[in-house]
Amino acid sequence: MSLTRRTILQMIPASAALSMMPRVKAQTPHRVVVVGGGFAGATVAKYLRMWSSGALEVVLIEPQAAHISCIMSNLVLNGRLGLKDLSFNYSALQGNYGVNVIRDRAVRINGAGKELKLKSAGWMPYDSLVLAPGIKFDKIDGLDSRQLPHAWIAGGQTNLLRRQIRDEIPASGTFVMTIPEKPYRCPPGPYERACLVADILKRRGGSPRVIVLDANDGIQAEKETFSRAFKDLYGGIIDYRSNVRVDSVDSTGRYVYTSREVGGVLQEETVRGDVVNVIPRHGAPKLLVQSGLTAGSRWAPVDPVTYGSTLAQFPGVHIIGDSQGTGQPKSGHMANSQAKVCADAIIRRVAGMPVDTDERLDNITTNSACFSPITATEASWLTAVFRYNRDTGAMGLVPGSLGEAHRWNSENFQEMFTWSENLFADTFS
Amino acid sequence: MKGLPLPGALIALLLTGAAFAEDATVNRLLAAQCAQCHGTNGYALGDMDELAGESAKDLYEDLTDMKGEDRPEGIMDHQALGYNDDQIRRIASYYAGLPEDEPGSAGAGSSEGGTGFSDSEEDEEDEEDREEEHD
Repeated sequence: MSLTRRTILQMIPASAALSMMPRVKAQTPHRVVVVGGGFAGATVAKYLRMWSSGALEVVLIEPQAAHISCIMSNLVLNGRLGLKDLSFNYSALQGNYGVNVIRDRAVRINGAGKELKLKSAGWMPYDSLVLAPGIKFDKIDGLDSRQLPHAWIAGGQTNLLRRQIRDEIPASGTFVMTIPEKPYRCPPGPYERACLVADILKRRGGSPRVIVLDANDGIQAEKETFSRAFKDLYGGIIDYRSNVRVDSVDSTGRYVYTSREVGGVLQEETVRGDVVNVIPRHGAPKLLVQSGLTAGSRWAPVDPVTYGSTLAQFPGVHIIGDSQGTGQPKSGHMANSQAKVCADAIIRRVAGMPVDTDERLDNITTNSACFSPITATEASWLTAVFRYNRDTGAMGLVPGSLGEAHRWNSENFQEMFTWSENLFADTFS
Repeated sequence: MKGLPLPGALIALLLTGAAFAEDATVNRLLAAQCAQCHGTNGYALGDMDELAGESAKDLYEDLTDMKGEDRPEGIMDHQALGYNDDQIRRIASYYAGLPEDEPGSAGAGSSEGGTGFSDSEEDEEDEEDREEEHD
């Protein structure tokens, strides 16, 4: 490519630049393989095709026929929604955007050779690889999630917890849930769940209890809202305890063995529930850990300018969504947000445009907005904007942008459905 | 220019005149961060404000007003605080440049295909080990 041509390409949008490319380069289009069809993977696949006007070949690897959204899934517990309402297949990505969706599982990455091994189809070469595989849970001694569900990856687990809450908590019974050490998926989610379960049990009468065992030193999101809800709305029902570590569990007897440091002394306590919801600590899935992409840490280190791996042995490999390690909140909304930054970076690179111009660096943003149901008819919300900081090379919270609802109400509850409808559509259709 | 009040005529000039010298994909990326709530390319579903085809002046003024709230109350009051003046101008100018009606809106992005209710009748029991799939 001549310098003149390069200069011209830099002046026009990448979509136009890419549509010119077949005349410049060989006929083989740049192939992007995306692993995982959740909020991050579906969004990046869609936007890569849309913004390149179809010039990039995009292959989406996903073992399931449909994604079941964690977002809104606490409303399955009280029967307001069913899993069907939260299931999204890939027909729109395929039909409307020309994403090549392959139902298979990624099992190994050859970073130097730029190829990905699929369980059924074998090795597949890529020019760019975008990994969006979500999370994996730590093992907990004695834990069988078929008896003590996590319901933190939506699907059968969500229904299992719904049925247990419905059938196995007697009047004045006890629900126990454990919240893992941060960072975990959906910071307000566990507190929202505590509220909704308390709401369900409160309606049954008696004197039910919801015991929340939080590994963290306090409520992690919407602190004002949840503190107030726990105290005022569900006072006497929700028993919130911070800094509680889960050492092991008895899945059959439904016991949680915990420890907590109080004044330098370790206090052990056994907590039993009629239903016990154990959410183990998260980390990046095995595919990333075994390939070396997490570099010995819990999450994959990436540059938030491209979401490319910071490890030199993985050229063209990007990680977005919950398994990357930029420290931004782990949520479907944020995953969608990061996917767009990643898609833009890949398209620019293919078009020969730099990704690190001052103008681009000054305008890399991501954001989060979400609603939390507090009762069966009322909700609160939380929002934040993050901006790339050229000095630190990291995404930072923009002062003033972090906010939570002043009160929970039915208006917010209605808006929650509009918000999720638009987020689902921007991601999956 | 951050924080300085601009006369209306100058705003109008900046909104219309600045775009050609800017990196179009930068503005596209910045604006796409509104789409999670306001729909892909600003074509919203349901009772959500549409951004596509709105006047740049209105969008700029709305966002600037929200940003200036003494006591931020709504989600957008906080969101607006996340962007500097130049970014708000870029977002406004991007959406103003899109047609008000979604091109080919009978197909892509319609709410029918949109919310993607699953056709599959998978037995819920079959999915209980779903997380193992992610190993």
